[in-house]
Amino acid sequence: MAYSDKVVDHYENPRNVGTLDKSDPNVGTGLVGAPACGDVMRLQLRISDEGVIQDAKFKTFGCGSAIASSSLVTEWVKGKTVDEATTITNKEIAKELSLPPVKIHCSVLAEDAIKAAVADFKKKRAERQGAAKATAT
Amino acid sequence: MQLVAPGTTLFDVLGLPRGVDVDKAELERAYRERSLRLHPDRAGKDDPRERRLSLERTALLNEAYKTLRAPEPRAFYLLKLHGLDLLKEEARAVSIPPKVLEEVLQLREQLESARESGDDEQVSALSDRVRVQSATTLSAAQSALRRLEQAPADEAVRVEAAQALARLRYHHRFLEAAEGSDEEDS
Repeated sequence: MAYSDKVVDHYENPRNVGTLDKSDPNVGTGLVGAPACGDVMRLQLRISDEGVIQDAKFKTFGCGSAIASSSLVTEWVKGKTVDEATTITNKEIAKELSLPPVKIHCSVLAEDAIKAAVADFKKKRAERQGAAKATAT
Repeated sequence: MQLVAPGTTLFDVLGLPRGVDVDKAELERAYRERSLRLHPDRAGKDDPRERRLSLERTALLNEAYKTLRAPEPRAFYLLKLHGLDLLKEEARAVSIPPKVLEEVLQLREQLESARESGDDEQVSALSDRVRVQSATTLSAAQSALRRLEQAPADEAVRVEAAQALARLRYHHRFLEAAEGSDEEDS
C-alpha cells in the first residue's frame, strides 16, 4: 500500500522520538496498544503547572501510519493547553496524513494516547495535591 | 441453494466437534475426505452454477482447514465465535492491562538496541524468552476459552480470553520484528 507523502516524511524523520522522566510530577505518560495490529505507542507530555504542554516525546512500535500519527501529535500538542490537546480528534490526524480507511485505527491510537497521557498527568497532580493537603492538616 | 446455513461454523464445515481441542488425525481425515468429494472435476463439471458452487465450497473447506489446524488461529476463531474478532478494529474494545503494554514496549526497546548494536546473541535470547512466554500465554488463552465454551455468557471469562489472545498477538509481532519482517502492513 502506498503511504501519503506526509506519512513517509514523518516515518523517515520522526519528530520528538524519545522519553521524558516518568517520575517527574509534571510528566504525563500515555501507553496505548491496538491488539488488532499489535502496535504499541507511548506518548509523554511535560505539562507546566498552568496546564500548558511544554514538551512531547513518543515511542511507537508499529506500522508507518502509527508512527506518523504519533509523530504528528507531538508536534501538534506542544504549546497547547491540556484541554485544547484533548480536543484533537483522530479525524483531524487521519485527514492531515491522508490515512486510508484501513489505517484509521492508527490515528485513533494517537488520539487515545493524548487522552491517556493527560489523564496520567491529572491523576499525578491530584495525588500530589492530596498529599500536600494531608501534610498541611 | 445456499453455500452454508446461517450459524454454520468452520467446525461444522469439517464435521468436527466445536472446541479448543481438535483431534489432529480426525481433522486431516475430514479435510481429505471432503476435498475429494468436492473436487471440481467431480462435482457438476458441465453445469457452470454447480461448478462455481463447488469452487466456493472448496474455498470454505480450505479456510476451515487453515483456521482449525493450528491451535493459535483456532483460538482466535473461537473468540470470534464469541463475538470478538481480535484481528478487526473492534479489538479496540479490549483493554490491555498497562503492565502488559509496558512489558511489550520494554521488550521492543531491548530488541531495537540489540539490533542497533548488532548483538545477534541478545536478539535470539530475547526471541527465546518471548517464545516461552508465547506458549504460556497460549495455554492461558486456551484455558479461558474452554471455560467460555462452557459458560458463553460469562463476560469476565471472555475478557480474560481476549486479553490473553491480545497478548499473544504482541508476542507474534515481536517475533516477526526479531526475524526482520517488521514494518509490514499491519
